[in-house]
Amino acid sequence: MIKITELEKIYRTEEVETVALNKLSFEVRDGEFVAVMGPSGCGKSTLLNILGLLDDPDAGSFLFNGIEVAHFNERKRADLRKHNIGFVFQSFNLIDELTVFENVELPLIYTGVKSAERKKRVEAVLDKVQIMHRRNHYPQQLSGGQQQRVAVARAVVNNPKLILADEPTGNLDSSNGNEVMQMLTDLNEQGTTIIMVTHSEHDSRYSHRIIRMLDGQTVTENILV
Amino acid sequence: MLKNYLKVAFRNLWRNKIFSSINIIGLATGICCFILIALYVTDELSYDRFNVNAENIYRVDADINFGGNALKLAVSSDPMGATLKKDYPQVQEYTRIYASEGSKLIKKGNEYIDEDKIAYADSTLFNVFTLPALEGDTKTALNEPNTIVISETAAKKYFGTIHATGKTLEVEMKPYKVTAVIKDIPHNSHFHFDFLLSMKNVAYGFGNFLSHNFHTYILLKPGTDYKVFEKNFDQVIEKYIFPQAKQFMQIASMDEFRSAGNKLEYHLMPLLDIHLHSARWPELDTNSNIQYVYIFSAVALFILLIACINFMNLSTARSASRAKEVGIRKVLGTERKNLIRQFLTESTVMAVISLFIAVMAAWLVLPLFNNISAKSLSLGSILNGPVMLLLIALPVFVGLVAGSYPAFFLSGFKPIVVLKGKINTGFKKSSLRSALVVFQFFTSIVLIIGTVVIYKQLNYIQTTNLGFNRDQVLIINAAGALNNENSDAFKNEVLKMPGIISGTISSYLPVASSRTDNTYSKDAVMDAKNALSMQTWVVDYDYIKTMGMQIVKGRNFSKDFGTDSSGIILNEAAVKVLGYVDPIGKKIYSSFQDGSNNPLSLKTYTIVGVVKDFHYESLRQNIYPLSLRLGHNSGNVSFKVSTKNLQELVKIVEAKWKIIAPGMPFSYRFMDEAFDNIYRAEGRIGKVAVIFSMLAILIACLGLFGLVTYMTEQRTKEIGVRKVLGASVPNLVVMLSKDFLKLVFIAAVIAFPVAWWAMRSWLQDFAYRISIEWWFFLLAATIALVIALATVCFKAIKAAMANPVQSLRTE
Ligand SMILES: Nc1ncnc2c1ncn2[C@@H]1O[C@H](COP(=O)(O)OP(=O)(O)OP(=O)(O)O)[C@@H](O)[C@H]1O
Ligand SMILES: [Mg+2]
Repeated sequence: MIKITELEKIYRTEEVETVALNKLSFEVRDGEFVAVMGPSGCGKSTLLNILGLLDDPDAGSFLFNGIEVAHFNERKRADLRKHNIGFVFQSFNLIDELTVFENVELPLIYTGVKSAERKKRVEAVLDKVQIMHRRNHYPQQLSGGQQQRVAVARAVVNNPKLILADEPTGNLDSSNGNEVMQMLTDLNEQGTTIIMVTHSEHDSRYSHRIIRMLDGQTVTENILV
Repeated sequence: MLKNYLKVAFRNLWRNKIFSSINIIGLATGICCFILIALYVTDELSYDRFNVNAENIYRVDADINFGGNALKLAVSSDPMGATLKKDYPQVQEYTRIYASEGSKLIKKGNEYIDEDKIAYADSTLFNVFTLPALEGDTKTALNEPNTIVISETAAKKYFGTIHATGKTLEVEMKPYKVTAVIKDIPHNSHFHFDFLLSMKNVAYGFGNFLSHNFHTYILLKPGTDYKVFEKNFDQVIEKYIFPQAKQFMQIASMDEFRSAGNKLEYHLMPLLDIHLHSARWPELDTNSNIQYVYIFSAVALFILLIACINFMNLSTARSASRAKEVGIRKVLGTERKNLIRQFLTESTVMAVISLFIAVMAAWLVLPLFNNISAKSLSLGSILNGPVMLLLIALPVFVGLVAGSYPAFFLSGFKPIVVLKGKINTGFKKSSLRSALVVFQFFTSIVLIIGTVVIYKQLNYIQTTNLGFNRDQVLIINAAGALNNENSDAFKNEVLKMPGIISGTISSYLPVASSRTDNTYSKDAVMDAKNALSMQTWVVDYDYIKTMGMQIVKGRNFSKDFGTDSSGIILNEAAVKVLGYVDPIGKKIYSSFQDGSNNPLSLKTYTIVGVVKDFHYESLRQNIYPLSLRLGHNSGNVSFKVSTKNLQELVKIVEAKWKIIAPGMPFSYRFMDEAFDNIYRAEGRIGKVAVIFSMLAILIACLGLFGLVTYMTEQRTKEIGVRKVLGASVPNLVVMLSKDFLKLVFIAAVIAFPVAWWAMRSWLQDFAYRISIEWWFFLLAATIALVIALATVCFKAIKAAMANPVQSLRTE
């Protein structure tokens, strides 16, 4: 599903040049659950943003489902993104002004799903993450774990083939964290490819494979299964 | 401690230069406009107050409906003042001004200057009005014939010194002795004369109660209720006016006169109301209108309010983005009261800077403003008034209020809440903010509609079909100096020149010039029912042609008809009042008064033609009945010309004049300029209104820009999230604009009826006016919409184009 070769990303500020990704190469197949680990600042979030088509690399190749997307323009990337990729962030990134239901509904609006169909699908997915009873609440009224469940629901409501999760349990206690990890595992078992950045060895054990990074490069790949 | 607050405050302002300058400039512009308008309005309200007796001076006005003519006069008859003083002890003094003769030629060295600030007056003028003398005794100055009182300016102009008493001034070829020099009449007086001639020099049938030609002022004893005093006029009418009226009209009583639909009423117009409330005929100077005072005051308050709201909005908006700073400061142990003081100091400093800039700016643009508004305002006049107090209090107040949100709201929060950024929503969703935006759009829309209506109306006045053609008409003034033969000779000589199309001799013109009213009747016996009062203009054969007027029925006067000296041409208004479907050949009868008191037998005229209605007074007034009679009246000679080089032509005409009338003064004007004079004041006020409206709109835009910027910044994260979820740039722009559009819509719905009502009452004053069209509203709404959209889009596109990764990082 994903194949990157010699991917580079360099941040230039006035004086400093930071090489966030340094000729990084690896491959992720359909249906895999991959964990990305490494010390702070080694480039994990940068990598995830590029894989999620939120940002473009400075050099190298990025094949998504066999198509070269490294130099896609903004519009094409957005199109590809909204139909294929779901995101889960450490800080949830729910919209405060919208209810739980409306937050989850958003991706469907942007992909042009009809209202009745949206309602059905949002309710189904809210049911699945067991947050249906709170559908009309606002994010601030929920606990961290509940918010992250909503975020997961939002990520999967469009049935994406790929879910990118950046430290999804970073702001959660262990029991809430485990719940979220269980949800990701379930999704993976139903065929969704998952790439997850984490600092937790515990969480990484839910995955099939761990990519360890250091200074923008892969150092090792542990296959767990 | 304060010094420290100030230091930090200035550093903060400096660090956020753009924000600070938008904020300061916005408030400064608002205050500057307010200062200018306050000056203007204060000046308008100050008219005639310099008179010590201002509160007790009244002008005697007459309302006359007679024979289809509705007259609202600022003048009354010549015996009126003296009669009132004789019969009623409440009347302490009276005085009259006779200004019906218009401008006069005054000799200076070898040249003649056409002076229009000239009138005849009673010596009592100086007992009623406060016009201090620099030299001479004004108490007696005008008692003798052939005496003149002149102003300081006139004395300097004609004698090079203010010591002019005893010297002689030649007015219209007649020597007058200067008996006093007065200080220039203040600019805020409802009349301005540089030359006051003795009333004894007026050639007039004195003692006539029926002829109204004198501006008459009475000074009532303090404590007299003028409304009660007005009731005495019924008595005056019964006792003096009715007996005279009976002499030339078949009426048995005043009641009969009234029941025939006529009206004769006298009122007292308080001196202090004249400048803003009087639109009668003839005024001694172009008056203003209380409506403009209202309009300007409203605009000033609107502008100030918008500017203050902007200031508070922007300060508040920015302080919200400082929530984190507050949190950190509190974590580090800053006390709440210190934070409060810091915020208050910052916003107050900003407001005070605005005040200084505003005063400076007002001082700088005042000459320009004076130029446009034809005023001579100075900042000094408000330095000690309540306006000054407001000026100082306001910025401090605005500063304190604007600073109080961050001061009390933010500093009161627990640091951890502030740090998590959760309070941002407070302002974002608030209905207060929506109300403020609605208010700004409301104001802008009302102002735009007002501007369009005023502009259109003034334009209409300039371009409307007047019924005569004012272009390329050269008027030679004071042709009365020529005798009949000479004026004919002059006319004929000039007509031979190339570029001259036609010429006419008459002092009656559809611009400022002579006017005469006469009474006519349909029947050979005149009574209250059949009397018709109308303008009677003496003209020659070529008058209609030269003025570009149009005969709609019958014919013009013609030399082919020997009997035309008893022919008469009426305007359409007169025909309508007479009720004739086919007026040609019908007879009407006139009581031609020769100025003496003798009732004259009626003279018979035959209607030979009907001229299309033409405007001869301001377009604020209806066209009243008017008649043209054939005769020789040589006040002016007017020529219709066709040339590119008018000045060259004038020179040639002048040369001809010098030959035919050696030593006689030559003076001229162009009809289009004379016409523009009637509307100059109006045009000026319109221009001022338009400028301030534009400024108000500009300030509103500035505020809007600030608000939009702030609101979009607040939503940066949301925009990022939405983009990650697949929102396109258009999606986001629509989302961000939608809220604002809703507010514009609400504002428009409120603004339309308000603007419609306000502008309709303004237009009401014009007898000839544009109608308020639906597209004015559409235009205003569209402009507001475009402003909103442009600002929102500019910001929204920028936010939407930004890399979402960046916005998410700001967490
Ligand atoms: N917008 C940016 N501008 C400049 N440098 C950046 C930017 N974003 C990231 N970096 C730098 O690139 C490097 C990689 O950052 P990245 O956020 O990918 O690290 P990370 O592995 O996700 O770290 P963490 O585990 O702490 O989240 C860091 O050194 C960071 O300072
Ligand atoms: Mg990271």
